[in-house]
Amino acid sequence: MAATESSGRAAAGGRAGAGRLRQRGAADRRDARAGLALTAPSLLLVGIFALFPLGFGVYISLTNWPLVGPYHFIGLSNYQGLIHNSVFLQSIVFTLKYTGIVTIPIFVVGYSLAVFVRSNRKGSTLFRTLIFLPYIVGLVAESFMAVVELQPTSGTANFVLSKLHLMSDTTAWTVHTGLATTAICILVIWFASGLTMMLLMAGMQGIPADLYESARVDGASWWSAERRITLPLLRRSIALSLIISVVGSFLAFNQFFIITDGGPGTSTESVVMSIFQTAFADTDVGLASAMSVVLVIVVGLITFIQFHYLQGDGD
Amino acid sequence: MRRAGYLSIAAAALAAALALSACGSSGTSTPTSTKAFGVDATGVVHFWARQATDGPAIALVKEFNKTHKNLKVILHLTPPNDDTSQLATAIRAGSPPDVVGLNDIDVPTFSHENALMNLTKYVNALPYKSALSPGHLRLATIGSQYYGVPYLADLSVLWYNKKLFSEAGLNPNDPPTNYAQIMSDAAKIQKLGHGIYGFSFAGDCQGCLGFVMLPSLWADGVHMISGPLGNQTANVASNAPLKTMLADYRTLWADKMVPVNDQTQNGLTWGADFEAGKVGILPGDYGIAAAFKPSLAPDFADAPLPGVTGDSYSTFDGGDDFVIPAGASNPSGAWEFIKWVLEPAQQVQYPSLGDTPIRTDILTPSFAAKNPYDAVALKALAKGSVEYTLAYDAVYNEPGSPWFKMFEDAVYSGNLSAGIQEGQSGIQSTLQQVKS
Repeated sequence: MAATESSGRAAAGGRAGAGRLRQRGAADRRDARAGLALTAPSLLLVGIFALFPLGFGVYISLTNWPLVGPYHFIGLSNYQGLIHNSVFLQSIVFTLKYTGIVTIPIFVVGYSLAVFVRSNRKGSTLFRTLIFLPYIVGLVAESFMAVVELQPTSGTANFVLSKLHLMSDTTAWTVHTGLATTAICILVIWFASGLTMMLLMAGMQGIPADLYESARVDGASWWSAERRITLPLLRRSIALSLIISVVGSFLAFNQFFIITDGGPGTSTESVVMSIFQTAFADTDVGLASAMSVVLVIVVGLITFIQFHYLQGDGD
Repeated sequence: MRRAGYLSIAAAALAAALALSACGSSGTSTPTSTKAFGVDATGVVHFWARQATDGPAIALVKEFNKTHKNLKVILHLTPPNDDTSQLATAIRAGSPPDVVGLNDIDVPTFSHENALMNLTKYVNALPYKSALSPGHLRLATIGSQYYGVPYLADLSVLWYNKKLFSEAGLNPNDPPTNYAQIMSDAAKIQKLGHGIYGFSFAGDCQGCLGFVMLPSLWADGVHMISGPLGNQTANVASNAPLKTMLADYRTLWADKMVPVNDQTQNGLTWGADFEAGKVGILPGDYGIAAAFKPSLAPDFADAPLPGVTGDSYSTFDGGDDFVIPAGASNPSGAWEFIKWVLEPAQQVQYPSLGDTPIRTDILTPSFAAKNPYDAVALKALAKGSVEYTLAYDAVYNEPGSPWFKMFEDAVYSGNLSAGIQEGQSGIQSTLQQVKS
């Protein structure tokens, strides 16, 4: 009897549970439909302006598409040609080196600045604004400024360095590979650190103050709190800032186009510059599209790896 | 990141082009009636001009619209580096403009793809055809067919400072007529000291160097690229005037007869040192005359760019050709506008707008008296030339171009033979790559 009652309650409970599940399922479906409806405009725009052009770019890469005139399907010939395209391969190696050089300094400088400005002490807002200003002004204007300031005999860089007896005032920065790359790296670190600072600072300000208070009560040092509280809880912000930094460096164009024009020779030609030259100077849009597809795959892989190792579970 | 944006936009535009291509006409047929074509046209003409040569375009369109009530020209300026890609996209989309002021070196790229209207019978009917710039017309020619007509000239000349010539004991009315004289005059001016330089060049501007150096080869009767399209070869290794010229540039650089900033001069402030009165000789663009300060202008004079060995001169036939894209909706209106621009009344306005007339018969004594600088350029136009190739940008204008690598090796590194070798092999392989 008891068993019967028990099983009856269980059955009743099961029906009620099933009912709740059905209700929740219906609510989930409604939420899903509402979510889809709300994101549909964005998805549509992404489809029209990102996915469709990307797919069409892949199609162009399988043709001998010139700037004007007829074209025909050539299969994977463009991709096969890339394996022996020394200029393109050199541009990839150069871009990888450049990305490797600037990424860590941008992060370290950005993190240090974020630590400095994360509190709301007097003057913080002004300091944040000043550090973020180069990012607002933009790399194009700053690259033109760099061209002026790096001129032999008349530029500020040579004036200061020659006064310090570190360099001749006739040094031609922009036409020597090493010097030009150094100057561009310094410029980009100055430009991009502000964005990293803002991203990390926003993440830091989201960490509850109680955690630091508890750590202090437990006798934790500043460094210990930074290492055991800030860094773990900042993992997603760090991942985001590094991904933005690496992708931005890999797609670098403006600074090289303006300051060195890829020279001397093609020694400072970034991947995107190489694609640009192929499409519009060599008028080979098919080959340039193949180069672009390779670039998309490489950047996608790098981003995936970064996500995998940096994002974690976010706890 | 901006480049990714450009690619997306370009890809979207090209996608639209594919979708719309069925709607657009791509034929190159010529309207039948020559007399009616370009006469009393009506409607709207969409005119695309380059920002680099916007002076005449803006002024002439304004004037044309004032005087033509039934035909309106709408001007669209294409930004630097984007003029060919914008036109190509429009042609692929089947909605090209009616007339384009196209950089003349880019015309073969379009004409050889049947993207332009055949204008042969209309050009042949022009009473002043023989006075049109031969170099500009050549770039619009395939065989005996014309796919464009000269629009404006942007020419290279040899600027010199008469005051510095006098101070150096040189005759200010005797500009150099060969490279040996350039070298000796520059050396004498250099000795003046006080920050004065004998010579100057835009040493990090590939296009500028071609603009002022190639004419001296042409004046000597040699081109660096020879042969018909599709079977072109590089003429570097056995090019004696080229070797002399590169060796002279090396001497100018090594002996510090040019400002050290020349090595990084990318063209943005090209000529500024000459305009400031600090340079004796500058092979440059006629257009810098517009920037002369009135107080210093009397010191300056120009002469034709001499051949390396002398006895002749030439100029780079830079500037634009008018072309009518195949499938243009109002070609008759476009031709009416073109004919109006080529009339003397409009041509004589060019010097004040920063360019040179495209007709050699505009050079009259009264024109020369009113425009002494431009008269020199216009005189040289009759002997002007170009490198007729589909690979001009790739060979000369790209930063990593074989032309510029050769210049760097020969002039900055002082290794002439390595430069010549680099130039011969690099230009030849580029011609093959571009199938020129």
